[in-house]
Amino acid sequence: MKSSIPLWQRSGFRIVGALVLLILLGGAVGGIYFTQIPPEQPIPFPHNFHIGVGAQCSYCHTGTSTGPSAGLPTTDKCWGCHQQIEPRNDNLKLVASYGSEGKQIPWVPVAIQPDFVVFSHQPHINAELTCETCHGDLTQMTVAEPQKGQNMGWCLDCHQKMSTPEEFVLLSDCATCHY
Amino acid sequence: MTELLAKEAQDEKWGMVIDLDICSGCQACVTACSMENNIPFVGEDEMAYGRGMQWMRIRRYWEGEYPDVMPDHQPMLCQQCGSAPCEPVCPVFATLHSEVEKINLQVYNRCIGTRYCAINCPYQARTFNWFDYEIPAPMNSYLNPDVTVRRRGVMEKCTFCVQRIVKGRQQASAEGREMEDGDVTPACAQACPTDAITFGNLSDPESRVSKMVRSDRAYKELENLGTEPRVTYLKGGKSYGG
Repeated sequence: MKSSIPLWQRSGFRIVGALVLLILLGGAVGGIYFTQIPPEQPIPFPHNFHIGVGAQCSYCHTGTSTGPSAGLPTTDKCWGCHQQIEPRNDNLKLVASYGSEGKQIPWVPVAIQPDFVVFSHQPHINAELTCETCHGDLTQMTVAEPQKGQNMGWCLDCHQKMSTPEEFVLLSDCATCHY
Repeated sequence: MTELLAKEAQDEKWGMVIDLDICSGCQACVTACSMENNIPFVGEDEMAYGRGMQWMRIRRYWEGEYPDVMPDHQPMLCQQCGSAPCEPVCPVFATLHSEVEKINLQVYNRCIGTRYCAINCPYQARTFNWFDYEIPAPMNSYLNPDVTVRRRGVMEKCTFCVQRIVKGRQQASAEGREMEDGDVTPACAQACPTDAITFGNLSDPESRVSKMVRSDRAYKELENLGTEPRVTYLKGGKSYGG
């Protein structure tokens, strides 16, 4: 027997369609959510506290003015100050155990770009950009949090705002970031 | 006329001169290029299928009649054409002309792998990633962090080591000076044991490449096609050097 109801009006088809849409939507929402939560760090490093006691960003992230990568501090850098500090809580004890054994702390990088994007800190620091322009207000963060919406449009918006039209030719050139 | 020349000089920028009279065909440039640009080694079988991935290759010819045969070598790479046949055929603008560098760029994340550009390239300078080639364990430490590791399904080609050009410019600007001749050396020119490859700025009439381009021995490959190649070959009458 041939049904007279067209395919798109049948309830089975509509239920399957709705389920597929829900799964796709759920995947998209989940994907966006999971890329925006900070990764788990070996020690929940309190950026706000360290900035509060007067540490400059470049004291630990030393590479900004000289190279592409800002870099993450070695255990020696932490231990230089922390061996003079009494390990009052569990996190400080963890720092002490890494430091006294001379093991590297496996920090997880947070602000990362995909492989096909080449970013260098040096020209940005030389253009006197502040760190919080891209990395957010770290006086309000404990562990570093990934910033939302750091896509190519965001890069180009800033490049256009900060440059003259002649400079923007270089700053919008594909070869500036992609090679 | 001077206006036209000035415009032409502005349109040309990075250029390469390869002296075929001192090239010995040793393949050092090919190796250096592969290491610098993270080019996978495809192996013998894939090479035989014509899926070899070399941004630079040495074409070997035999000159003369037996028994007086002489081998002749010509390194062939992307000529960074001023009027490039690969560019207008790309449906997604993955290969396009850089306004700043005046060279052809390949934007890997745009490329959808139609391979039109490779078909339209008269120099056969483009290679395609037919597979994700495995890089065995110790070799992945050799990867150049400045260059993208390409995935399966994208086209690639010589970039004139644009990562070194960008780095050279950043270095110069950090030191507060203009770029000078010799600031940028691509991997092939750096590796060449006979210094047959010279790289520099063609818009500067005093640069080494500009002087060599004006040589009597200079010719450009397939110049009659009107592609305006940026690579100039020097070839004389073999009256010197053995």
